[in-house]
Amino acid sequence: MVALSIDGQTVEAEEGKSLLQAALDADIYIPHICSHENLDPVGACRLCVVEIEGREGACTSCTTPVQEGMVVTTRSEKLKQMRRLSTELMLSGHPSDCTGCPKFGACELQSLIQYLEVTDQRLRKRVNIVPSDTSNPLVMHDMGRCILCGRCVRACGELRGVGALTFIKKDGRTRIGVRDGLSLAEADCRFCGSCIEVCPTGSIRDQEGLLDPNMNRKAAIVPCRSTCPAGIDIPRYVRLVREGKPSEALAVIREKVPFPAALGRICDHLCESACRRSELSDSISIRALKRYAAEHGDESWKAASRQLPPTGKKVAVVGSGPAGLTAAYYLAKQGHAVTVLEALPEAGGMMRVGIPGYRLPVEVLNAEIDEIRKVGVEIRTSSKVASADQLLAEGYDAALVTVGAHKGIKLPTPGSDQAGILVNAEFLRLAALGTPQPVGERVVVMGGGNVAFDCAGVARRLGAKEVHVICLEARDRMLASPEEIVEALEEGTRIHPSVNINEILGKDGRVSGVRCVSIRSFSFDANGQAILDVVPDSECVIEADTIIMAVGQRPDLTEDFGLPLGRGNRVTVDEITLATPKPGIFAAGDVVTGTKSVIAAIAAGRSAAASIDRFLGGNGQIEEVLAPLSEPNPVLGTEASFAAAPRCDCPEGYDDEKAHQESSRCLQCDLRLRITEQKFWSAYSHR
Amino acid sequence: MKQLETDVIVVAAGLSGLAAAISAAENGASVIAFEKANTTGGAANMGMGPLGIGSNIQKHQMVSLTPFEAFRKHMSFTHWNVDARLVRDYYAKSGDTIQWLEEMGVEFFGAMPAYAAPETMKPYATSEATWHVVKPIGGGLPGPRCAGAMMKCMTERAEELGVQVLLETPVKKILVEDGKAVGVIAVDKNGEEIEARGKAVIIATGGFGANPQMLKEQTGFEWGKNLFSFAIPGMTGDGLNMAWEAGAGKTPVTIELMYQIPDNMAHFAIEGAFRQPCLWVNKLGNRFMNEDGIPNTTFTGNAIVAQPDHVCYSIFDAKLLKHYKRNGPDIQSHVHPHDIYQQFDEAMKAAFAEGYEHVCEADSLEELADKMGIDKEGLLKTVEEYNEDCDNHYDSLFDKDRAFMQPIRSPKYYACRQYPGGYGTLGGIKINHKTEVMTDEHKVIPGLYAVGVDACAIYGHTYPFILPGNTMGFCLNSGRIAGENAAEFINE
Repeated sequence: MVALSIDGQTVEAEEGKSLLQAALDADIYIPHICSHENLDPVGACRLCVVEIEGREGACTSCTTPVQEGMVVTTRSEKLKQMRRLSTELMLSGHPSDCTGCPKFGACELQSLIQYLEVTDQRLRKRVNIVPSDTSNPLVMHDMGRCILCGRCVRACGELRGVGALTFIKKDGRTRIGVRDGLSLAEADCRFCGSCIEVCPTGSIRDQEGLLDPNMNRKAAIVPCRSTCPAGIDIPRYVRLVREGKPSEALAVIREKVPFPAALGRICDHLCESACRRSELSDSISIRALKRYAAEHGDESWKAASRQLPPTGKKVAVVGSGPAGLTAAYYLAKQGHAVTVLEALPEAGGMMRVGIPGYRLPVEVLNAEIDEIRKVGVEIRTSSKVASADQLLAEGYDAALVTVGAHKGIKLPTPGSDQAGILVNAEFLRLAALGTPQPVGERVVVMGGGNVAFDCAGVARRLGAKEVHVICLEARDRMLASPEEIVEALEEGTRIHPSVNINEILGKDGRVSGVRCVSIRSFSFDANGQAILDVVPDSECVIEADTIIMAVGQRPDLTEDFGLPLGRGNRVTVDEITLATPKPGIFAAGDVVTGTKSVIAAIAAGRSAAASIDRFLGGNGQIEEVLAPLSEPNPVLGTEASFAAAPRCDCPEGYDDEKAHQESSRCLQCDLRLRITEQKFWSAYSHR
Repeated sequence: MKQLETDVIVVAAGLSGLAAAISAAENGASVIAFEKANTTGGAANMGMGPLGIGSNIQKHQMVSLTPFEAFRKHMSFTHWNVDARLVRDYYAKSGDTIQWLEEMGVEFFGAMPAYAAPETMKPYATSEATWHVVKPIGGGLPGPRCAGAMMKCMTERAEELGVQVLLETPVKKILVEDGKAVGVIAVDKNGEEIEARGKAVIIATGGFGANPQMLKEQTGFEWGKNLFSFAIPGMTGDGLNMAWEAGAGKTPVTIELMYQIPDNMAHFAIEGAFRQPCLWVNKLGNRFMNEDGIPNTTFTGNAIVAQPDHVCYSIFDAKLLKHYKRNGPDIQSHVHPHDIYQQFDEAMKAAFAEGYEHVCEADSLEELADKMGIDKEGLLKTVEEYNEDCDNHYDSLFDKDRAFMQPIRSPKYYACRQYPGGYGTLGGIKINHKTEVMTDEHKVIPGLYAVGVDACAIYGHTYPFILPGNTMGFCLNSGRIAGENAAEFINE
């Protein structure tokens, strides 16, 4: 440590630190724009000039190391003049008008103008004609606003080891651009966004429309993580997979969810749709990497897993689906005695009786449920709960209702009272429990969501020869995930989008087919009645001996259960606490939201666990750090054809090599958040 | 959720919000100001200075305009279509507000008119010297952004008075209980929610110039199609929507109209080059104004809105271009560089290379009409008549200044489309002369105030450029009025 004096104030700083950094750390503001805490100083902007006793002239504080006994002045008329001239020089080539600039309000140059009280009127104006380059889908260059501070060049080169950006001298003018006249992709840019992060003006920005304006900026920069309902730290585990540490990757996933392997197979992966890489080639196969981590990781995550001492409180969880089991798991770890009451003979809820075994094998699910039992959760199957009051009467201190939405909706289509008509939830449930409802040779599934395709797949496995999926939605609007649709097509299922079933035909009280029309579009009126724009003369008949209705499910609850039911037979709860109007009774998952995804149910289970823990006198703190928090390597280096690297899909699961290959495609958007945020003049006390 | 408590909550720390925060604090209130951006000042960072009437500066400059004279001018200009009491209170305070700023350390270059009307227009549309332009410290002429120095002084003054300014912390909702404003919900930069409780809430979010959907709904203009106004990031109508949700009444919303070329920042040299009193026609090829009036961006903006498809064309030929290149522009602007024509050729080349469709050059007037989509016969007839007038040194159609009567007959020909442009939006939240927010039934919502352009409905149809500095003037003075009233209200 050395001691020096800055503006009469004694400041201590580590040896080797720059004078500028020492001052900023001591809450003394010195104007600067080319220097940045994470980058090597170059002294180019000359705004950070200071006077040092015993030295001639002014020197740039960013390039001057601190020395014992230095006496420094940061404020004087002469320095002010020098700083103003430097700013005016920058402004002479910068557009006069900031109002069209997306960086308005977040611009370091704008803040400097405010602080130094300068305008661009004294010096001759040069108009810097550089059309903005919007050709890259992620990064846009608007170099007409560039002040040549060079931060981006240093971030790209020194910090990331990529070197795609450089100073270009041409026709006596200097500008910043991509090296050798290449595009960013050709220059092996890694699209980490650090150039955007360090740019003090609006010259390098996220491509328009890329950041979700409704999201907090930091969240929007890492869209996979912020889109995940459970908030799994995706970039962190993808990085660990790449580094060959599947056990640590698994631990990261386990920090937020108790079903890594199940999710690795069936998660609806909103993260992949949000993945920034999809703008370049194709999104990262995040789900497959999760499966890899779950299959290749060991149990080292257990080492740091929290287990609080018993609290003496008893909690009942009604329903053993993803929401219920997740809540049970975390509540048990908080020290409560948890009993899960499941009406069916098997635990797992929709993961067990909704999603077919060929998509989520029973062994995989059971192994994860066993882990939940291991933390002390008791699961009683074939135990139907009649009413909420019964639970409190039995001595539970709190109860969570997570009974899901297991009652399939039967449409009143003409002819729907005949034999041979099945309903999604019941059909899938009975098949999963080993007592399937028989299907004929020709099956029509009504509906276009994932459940409809699951019904189609199960029907085929039960012996159907010809399976049709018929839905109102157009092909590109269908609700099922693309993977499920592709799989179904591969199995030979025929899909009829934009089609309405007008009537179910029959013979002798038994289904014989459906009469359909093609539609151009559809909407619903206030009463939920479909309004169809029918294509004239498009009527046709599809023969069938079995119809499966897969047009939605609702909670299988009645008022007798003792909870007020709202729209769609759903339980109404407080948005934040998930408490029902009945004290001590909470509800979460599909029973509250209507049919959603497994990951959404898990997230709801976590919220419910935290809320119930608080209700029972705990602090509601269920967050865990299970994997070591290591600093990621900021140097990315280059990889040939990085931008075009194709996505690797592998239905049987990745091996080490494929997992490495796929995880290496990650743009590591989270690295951007490790770049130190720049504070403006008003944030410092001494200025 | 984090909990905060204070007397007065100010939503956004731009010019009006800071004025409100400072004056509330000066009157003894504790104040928290929430700001979405990571710097204070909002759109005012871009401006040059506020209106003031009866300031010491004006007295030294022999400007004799009084607040009541200004009031009468303003009310005539707006045809008495607006809240006279609010206009009166605003102008009456505006001179003192300049002193108030000077006491904070703001220095002014002087009181200036916004532009000099041509001789023929002086009796109808001249601009008074009410614009107090901020002086750049340490030299240089005032120019765009010089008001940044004022924002610095105001920010420092607010901090000195103990105002807590929370940056990157947008307000999401105004809390109303028993019909009274009692606080806000905000979200900080890490995404954490904050519930702030106070006795008064002052909305100062700056309109919705950057919200195309609201622009369409509230003004009928389609941004990017027939309107190319400034869209300052963040000006998305948060305050209006929150106020309306809280029960505030609505006023019509207008835009401070002017005109500009599409994507003007990327084609700054072209915009400056064509903003000259050459030949201006509409889609039918007809002239529609005396072109010496084009420095009056307000009237010209209105005139363009009155043309078919809200578009017009500014045209000159090779001879005029040579004249501009040699002598500089006929009309100097304080926005566009003075040596703009030295960059003209390069700028045109770049625009063509990029496929920018709003400018063209042509070897004949027919080709020009085709390229720009102007009625060919109409244009040819207009040019013939115009050239004849030029030869006679007299504009028989509109009496344009004869110095600018230069014929269009030397190829090449150059043309550029001009569209309505504008600053931000004006108005939306119904207030009274104390800046208290009212319902549509003129009932005050206790504790809720709105200031600045969110509530500026005193201009009627057209920005009163005759009393320039008016937007910043209203922001400052409505802010001060709100701060004072809120401080009084909380003591009641």
